[in-house]
Amino acid sequence: MSDWKAETAISFENVSVRKSDFVLGPTTLDIPGGYITAIVGPNGSGKSTLFRMALDLAKPDYGKVTVLGQEIGSGDDDELKQHIGYVPEEPYAHESRLKGSDKAKINGFWYKGWDLFRYQELLHILQVNDHQLLGKMSKGMRRKTELALALAHNPELLLLDEPSSGLDPLAWKIMIDLLHRHMDQGDRTILMTSHIVDEVKRLADFIVFMAQGKVLGFYEKDELFSSWFTYYVSGEGIEARDLADMPGQTGIEFAGLNTFRVTTGKAQDAEAWCADAGLTVVSKSAMELDEIMAALLHGIGLETKANEARGLRR
Amino acid sequence: MRLPIQINEQSAEPLYHQIKVQLRALIVSGQLEEDTLLPSIRELAQTVKCSVITVKRVYSDLETEGLLRTRQGTGTYVAKVGDQERYKHRLSVVIEALDQAVGAGKRVQCTEEELEGLFREAVRKHYDPGGEQP
Repeated sequence: MSDWKAETAISFENVSVRKSDFVLGPTTLDIPGGYITAIVGPNGSGKSTLFRMALDLAKPDYGKVTVLGQEIGSGDDDELKQHIGYVPEEPYAHESRLKGSDKAKINGFWYKGWDLFRYQELLHILQVNDHQLLGKMSKGMRRKTELALALAHNPELLLLDEPSSGLDPLAWKIMIDLLHRHMDQGDRTILMTSHIVDEVKRLADFIVFMAQGKVLGFYEKDELFSSWFTYYVSGEGIEARDLADMPGQTGIEFAGLNTFRVTTGKAQDAEAWCADAGLTVVSKSAMELDEIMAALLHGIGLETKANEARGLRR
Repeated sequence: MRLPIQINEQSAEPLYHQIKVQLRALIVSGQLEEDTLLPSIRELAQTVKCSVITVKRVYSDLETEGLLRTRQGTGTYVAKVGDQERYKHRLSVVIEALDQAVGAGKRVQCTEEELEGLFREAVRKHYDPGGEQP
């Protein structure tokens, strides 16, 4: 499916980072403008590093990062940053001694598009007040305040690193709704990371899988979920090896008399293949995001990481 | 407005197809009247938990079929559906459902005769509920 047209909001071109304990890339990745893209992957896969490079908070050793048409690190980015909102994974320690309202004043001074009325509305919707010191707030309270602070200048590009971390289920729903409404104005882009399967399902239009500093794939969400299925296949006297050539096959398990459980990332082709081979599909079920992630990791030989992926929260 | 569209994630039908069939049925049956403003693309995507790309495709396909029209900047509306059109589409919903049912039968290796028997039974159940069972 490629009938979506989009400008690129962020592009990573051949970007790589090499540290003693961590290697990222070389990675080439285009984040489409006008959509929500979620990066999913086990801890330490390099998600936050990509975010930091997009904001010039970290520099790649090689490669080029372009955000909203401007090459990062190519000079004055004050104007560019007017159009970006960012919620980092961990709040900045140096801001802990500020009240929420102090940070709002700073943002109001800095962002030309700062909308005080909108900010107060956001605080109201999220049910927080900003009179407390950021460092004294509970994790969820601080998260909500940071969200309000990141949204109130109505940024064209929103970078959210684990936005829901610390939120209770009710606040989580409110956040999802806020982000949808933010997008509804059109021409808005969100790049986010998440460990929460349901969050990705509800928000994302595109999903990027990452592991160990590498991008494993970029998918349109519905296409992804309609490609990965688990099948129970049966046929007279079949054995596991008869199913090895099924298109997209990532795992075969014995499931009782003449029946095997097979997972595949190419559901349509696999079904056609079964029909040609005279095998019966007894039942099929769509795979969840964590299972797909595990299968992808398994495919590149990252067994331990695959187990971690299964620990993604549903 | 919330459209009564229900998605079955486990179904073999692609999401795109499920949404299109149901939305078309809502329009053709007259449940959504001419000039009704449909939810925005992202709103509908959110309610049925699919990506906006899928909803964009559905809207643009139904627009091509003449069931929807888009007014620049204001949104997507239900178009006028002619009687002939309505008749044609009315049956297409039924054909679709039958097709699904036959597929389900085939998956559990029903014979043609079995399926025909089941079909007749279902028709009897709905059209002649008090009738004697053979």
